[in-house]
Amino acid sequence: TSALLEVVTDIISTVEFNHTGELLATGDKGGRVVIFQREPESKNEPYNQGEYNVYSTFQSHEPEFDYLKSLEIEEKINKIKWLPQQNAAHSLLSTNDKTIKLWKVTERDKRPEGYNLKDEEGKLKDLSTVTSLQVPVLKPMDLMVEVTPRRIFANGHTYHVNSISVNSDCETYMSADDLRINLWHLAITDRSFNIVDIKPANMEDLTEVITASEFHPHHCNLFVYSSSKGSLRLCDMRASALCDKHSKLFEEPEDPSNRSFFSEIISSVSDVKFSHSGRYMLTRDYLTVKVWDLNMETKPIETYQVHDYLRSKLCSLYENDCIFDKFECAWNGSDSVIMTGAYNNFFRMFDRNTKRDVTLEASRESSKPRAILKPRRVCVGGKRRKDDISVDSLDFTKKILHTAWHPTENIIAIAATNNLYIFQDKVNSEMH
Amino acid sequence: FSRRRERAARGLGAGGAMEFRLEAHRIVSISLGKIYSARGQRGGLKLHKNLLVSLVLRSARRVYLGEPGGECALPPRPGPPPPPDCERLRRGCRPLASEAAARGRPECPAESPRKRSAAERDPAAGYPGKKPRRETEQPPPQEDMETGNVASLISIFGSGFSGLLGKERGAAEATEPGQVCCEQPVLRSLNPWSTAIVAF
Repeated sequence: TSALLEVVTDIISTVEFNHTGELLATGDKGGRVVIFQREPESKNEPYNQGEYNVYSTFQSHEPEFDYLKSLEIEEKINKIKWLPQQNAAHSLLSTNDKTIKLWKVTERDKRPEGYNLKDEEGKLKDLSTVTSLQVPVLKPMDLMVEVTPRRIFANGHTYHVNSISVNSDCETYMSADDLRINLWHLAITDRSFNIVDIKPANMEDLTEVITASEFHPHHCNLFVYSSSKGSLRLCDMRASALCDKHSKLFEEPEDPSNRSFFSEIISSVSDVKFSHSGRYMLTRDYLTVKVWDLNMETKPIETYQVHDYLRSKLCSLYENDCIFDKFECAWNGSDSVIMTGAYNNFFRMFDRNTKRDVTLEASRESSKPRAILKPRRVCVGGKRRKDDISVDSLDFTKKILHTAWHPTENIIAIAATNNLYIFQDKVNSEMH
Repeated sequence: FSRRRERAARGLGAGGAMEFRLEAHRIVSISLGKIYSARGQRGGLKLHKNLLVSLVLRSARRVYLGEPGGECALPPRPGPPPPPDCERLRRGCRPLASEAAARGRPECPAESPRKRSAAERDPAAGYPGKKPRRETEQPPPQEDMETGNVASLISIFGSGFSGLLGKERGAAEATEPGQVCCEQPVLRSLNPWSTAIVAF
């Protein structure tokens, strides 16, 4: 395993690989986006093989003030989604609480030289010195990466945008806030199509909100959204214009023996992700990750405990607000392993086939190049091994909310507050 | 972490009923503090978090005041009485012991209390394609998040709850925390409270 540690000055709020895994984008609380590019593997520098370096940095969103409502709009980047690459340029969508922007990332490595009317610095030449004409030629220059805003999708949301998802048709995308989901065409910014609206006629009757949403990876008419009550709704845009009525409702009945004041909070789904195959969905709630089969609505087919030892600490976690932390989850390229973050800079991986799980830590010690990540263990009383951490010494300020897995290889990106860790499994680089 | 407190929150331990109520009281005060401090948050009121806090507050309040449905927040205990209909309560219906139920009409929000779309009002709306037909029904950009109720909520608690906190120190000596509540007519009679909480 090798690791790369990048320090981003602000707290990282989202991490996303592009479709080939060549690029990795991070967004932060300050509204900045940093794009990393993987070095092509070359025989000349074997030790730099496949490492990620900074490719471009730009300011995506700025803080805004809504004077009508006397509200400040945070510049924090909530989500970044890459568009599938259709030409030499790369494109991505970034969003804060209110506004989604489409950015185009282009490279420039040549520039024209030999103008007739301008000199090298661009100053106009004295015409009397021009005695012959020449054709300007393109000469190589140092690589320059330019990022330009191509579209700004504003005024579509009254509530806070929590997710965006690009459709497999590559023409449309959706954005979801607490109560509504809008469908946009990537080329049209002055209108969007509302496809889900769960706002009650009387806000006093509000009992649940939308927490995450995603398009199906292959069927452009299907999408899923999760709710604060722990349910998933699969919707078919061909069934009706307004997808208030779900095609399928995925919900697991509550276990009455686990009931507490905080049952509702911990059942709220913080992230939902389709598998690459499109057959399954992965959800994260406060204590577990669950795998759902699209063909079975009554309960998940697999449930994995992320940190069940926190179940007896919910009151304290409510008090210090940790119970509201929104953890994300991720599939590996072959849908055989799932990953999610936890506290104390721990992150967890679950192998769906072997049913084995591992806890790893993203720390400066583990990030030395070619260091092997050592599995960690949280002890909950009983026999305590040498390097175990007790539940009471977990650092709840060190939380790994955002993780991403390379689409095809065993490379993962872990955001630990304002540090980005990239771990590569060189031995098992190819998916099995 | 206080183990006794945590166990109380789960309904375990000796003197369970008393611990429930004390714990519920504590959760009520923590929740109100969160709602209050949410006002000054950068980026505006977070609807999701405040909804969750209001749900916790409602459960804790039910336990604290000994209202029917309070048991829904706690693991079921063996023996009588039969458990309340927690599912209805979770859907936002008022407990059946309310006056409305006594009148024979259970107060439930409709299963899908949603705004009706143009397509549903007009069956001849036609092909449900990705037409931008609905941009006229789009809420105007200046739509209010309807968080104005927070101001009245805070003023309600400003008087009623500080009084309760004043009694809190005496609650530990009181034989029955419920009695403290009875001396505070503000809470028991304040029907708007249960609705104001949810009005985020």
